Amino acid sequence: MTNHYLLQATDVELIANLFNYFLIVAGIIFALVIFYTFFYLIRYGAKRRPETPSQVEGSERVELILAIIATTITAVFVYLTINTMEKVQDIPENPKPFLEITGHQWWWEAKYPESGVITANQIYIPTGKKILLKLTSADVVHSWWVPELGRKMDMIAGVNNYMWMYAEKEGEYLGTCSEFCGVQHARMRIRVTALNPKDFEAWQQKQLLPVVTSTDALFLEGKQLFEEKTCTNCHAINGTEFKQNIGPNLTHFASRKRFLADMKENNEANLRAWLTNPQAVKSGVKMPNFILSDSEIDALVAYINGLK
Amino acid sequence: MSLYIDIPEDKEQLPSLKTGQGKLAWMASVDHKQLGIMYLWLALVFFVIGGLEAMMIRAQLALPNNDLISPELYNQIFTMHGTTMIFLVLMPASIGLGTYLIPLMIGANEMAFPRLNAFSFWMTCLGGMLLYFSFFAGGAPDAGWFNYAPLSENNYSSTQGVDYFLVGLILTGIGSIGAALNFITTVLTLRSPDIKLNMLPLFVWMIFVNAFLMLAAFPLLNAGLFMMLIDRQFDAHFFLASTGGSAILWQHFFWAFGHPEVYIIALPAFGIISEVIPVFSRKPIYGYKFVAASSIAIALLSYSVWAHHMFTVGLSNTVNAFFAISSMLIGIPTGLKIINWIGTMHKGSIRLTTPMLWAMAFLICFTFGGLTGISFAIVPITWQLTDTYYLVAHFHYVFLGGSLFGLFAGIYYWFPKMSGRMLCSKLGKWHFWLFVLGFNLTFFLQHVLGVLGMPRRIFTYPDLPYWKVLNMLATLGAVMMFVGMAIFFWNIYKTLKKPRTVGENPWDAWTLEWATPSPPELKNFDEIPRVHSRRPLWDINNPDNPDKKLN
Ligand code: HEC
Ligand SMILES: [Cu+2]
Repeated sequence: MTNHYLLQATDVELIANLFNYFLIVAGIIFALVIFYTFFYLIRYGAKRRPETPSQVEGSERVELILAIIATTITAVFVYLTINTMEKVQDIPENPKPFLEITGHQWWWEAKYPESGVITANQIYIPTGKKILLKLTSADVVHSWWVPELGRKMDMIAGVNNYMWMYAEKEGEYLGTCSEFCGVQHARMRIRVTALNPKDFEAWQQKQLLPVVTSTDALFLEGKQLFEEKTCTNCHAINGTEFKQNIGPNLTHFASRKRFLADMKENNEANLRAWLTNPQAVKSGVKMPNFILSDSEIDALVAYINGLK
Repeated sequence: MSLYIDIPEDKEQLPSLKTGQGKLAWMASVDHKQLGIMYLWLALVFFVIGGLEAMMIRAQLALPNNDLISPELYNQIFTMHGTTMIFLVLMPASIGLGTYLIPLMIGANEMAFPRLNAFSFWMTCLGGMLLYFSFFAGGAPDAGWFNYAPLSENNYSSTQGVDYFLVGLILTGIGSIGAALNFITTVLTLRSPDIKLNMLPLFVWMIFVNAFLMLAAFPLLNAGLFMMLIDRQFDAHFFLASTGGSAILWQHFFWAFGHPEVYIIALPAFGIISEVIPVFSRKPIYGYKFVAASSIAIALLSYSVWAHHMFTVGLSNTVNAFFAISSMLIGIPTGLKIINWIGTMHKGSIRLTTPMLWAMAFLICFTFGGLTGISFAIVPITWQLTDTYYLVAHFHYVFLGGSLFGLFAGIYYWFPKMSGRMLCSKLGKWHFWLFVLGFNLTFFLQHVLGVLGMPRRIFTYPDLPYWKVLNMLATLGAVMMFVGMAIFFWNIYKTLKKPRTVGENPWDAWTLEWATPSPPELKNFDEIPRVHSRRPLWDINNPDNPDKKLN
């Protein structure tokens, strides 16, 4: 592969290196402090040296030498810090993000401006490509953090923050909201799936397909209920007039492996439990309990699970 | 016309332990010693409450996917735990020791403003009570101790908890400002005429420098708190972006107070350590001038580091670099102090008493917390590790390993002065070892958890590799600390029941408070010994080898 980026360390590696340098220096300093504390305690214990010691008040020369050493170490770390900062947080003048993520209490909204894909919670990226992220929030402060893919960055309403993300290998990467954002902060987890560019393209194409229709009676009943029960006040379905983003976009909900910000596996039982009483599944969540009857839930599940 | 107002001599004696009766004497007291002790009791009571909250947190986190505590309650508990420990434990404990000791150490009979002193204490007490009243008024604050907007604003709160937080902290803030004014004036005006500023015991010096920090930091906090209170009560929009305010503005206000606050809590402990280590090494402090001057450096620098709490909000690289440099710089005077303390032990004759044990634990644990602190000045490391358990571990090493261990050293050290009784050193050692080992078990492992990706402030967590066992061990450590604290309370209880036996100077120490009976009379000094150096009692006890005369 002639990917230029692969020839250098990734952001995550750069930061890890810096952390390792820090660990080495801090480790030495700490070892010295421990050593001298214990050494003096043993060597100069009153049992061993009961006589009154000579009343030394210190030495300005020693003080000065130590200050110079400390300043030198600091200077080295200032240099390394600024250097790494500039490499990791190197955002172009007119940033064109590949992926825009908006934090909501307590889920993630994702848009791919180039292709026009809109999805939620389940986030896909292509491997081998440095991806520019635009981050913001719809409500309180959240923070985007997938440790293996890049730095963390706060999401603040009214502010657009940018950062880079990079996945070398295919696979699933876990992350989490890392600014306290209210009741269900703990359940605001992230799962990023990295696909090779070809599979990623295929995924995008699938997401761009219009919403599924069916002539199945239950499906149609569910569809109607979805509108009647005001689900559409919060949830968008692409290609319809319903464009609200208070809750996750459900256009291709059934194609997602997990839902509720990685809290639950996406299967019928979990979906049923969720619709029966969202508050019992994820208390405090911004979706009310609709007190649906069993048959209504059957229909809604058939509809939502049909949205492949 | 005279420019001066004559202050009338007090006709009646001020209410205090010796003149008044029973409990009322305490409530109405303006005696600095009584108030100092009341501050310490206040801190102790809230330490129990904050500690129980910590135990609830650890119980909930002992296992993955635990649902012992609901998220709503958990968020209140961790918010109250942090707020309590900072504003109602470490602050009043430091102020309390200062209030008790400053007049005694400078040869004065009272603080400069005895009534203000009482006012400050009662403000702090009232603030704490209001904060806790929130539990009965619908719910405690639940937006974390730094109370970030807009989560703390009306739209996102379901209770009045945050209002209680705001009003409670405004009151304790007023109390702290009063205490700071009092410390500064007392040190400047009531020193025994012999004592020049460069002869102050280091504890007094640290509290003195600290008072200036408090004087500048708390008004900032209170301004921010008032703005948010106006937001919440009168629908202003200071911190609401949707209507033209700024959420980040709150962060600036809070941390411009919040970082100095870290040093406000640390400096008194530095002062204690600077008394304890020399006394038990039988040597003067190594580099008095350096330790004193570096505190000023710390105080000044601590005002230019606040945005290192905000390295992930998206400030520019230039701004981040500025705050990275200043944060690393502040590590230099702090780090060198540690060398001074170790240097003091060099060629000493060390008595490993309970206060000295705590001072040693302070040296090691505070160094550790300081070093991990430097890692947060290295901006890219913050970009990965802030708001994880690595951060939680770091600041507990600073607040417990630093401030609290220092305060324990001080309490064991001055307890005989305050009560006339010596705390049992055998129980003291049990307290020490259980607490210090438990502390390291809990918090050392949390560094690892942070690096493994566990964020802070979560009421539950998935069963990811190693998370379970590390959290379990952390909870075990908390139990050890809990038992250690129970022994400490038992020790205090048992000791207070014994008769007073301690003489004036049980540790063979050197500063003026040890020239008074234990406990001191209502009037501290009938006659102040002459002071010619930084160690007046050393000079008296070692007439053939006195310190260099400084006046
Ligand atoms: C008041 C707004 C609101 C209404 C009305 C609403 N929801 Fe939701 N819904 C949400 C929010 C917010 C979430 C995300 C919860 C979370 O993960 O924290 C959600 C999540 C979901 C999810 C899971 C999506 C995912 O990917 O995690 C489904 C399915 C769902 N809602 C279905 C429904 C149905 C069916 C209705 C109507 C009966 C409905 N919702 C009505 C706000 C709403
Ligand atoms: Cu969040």
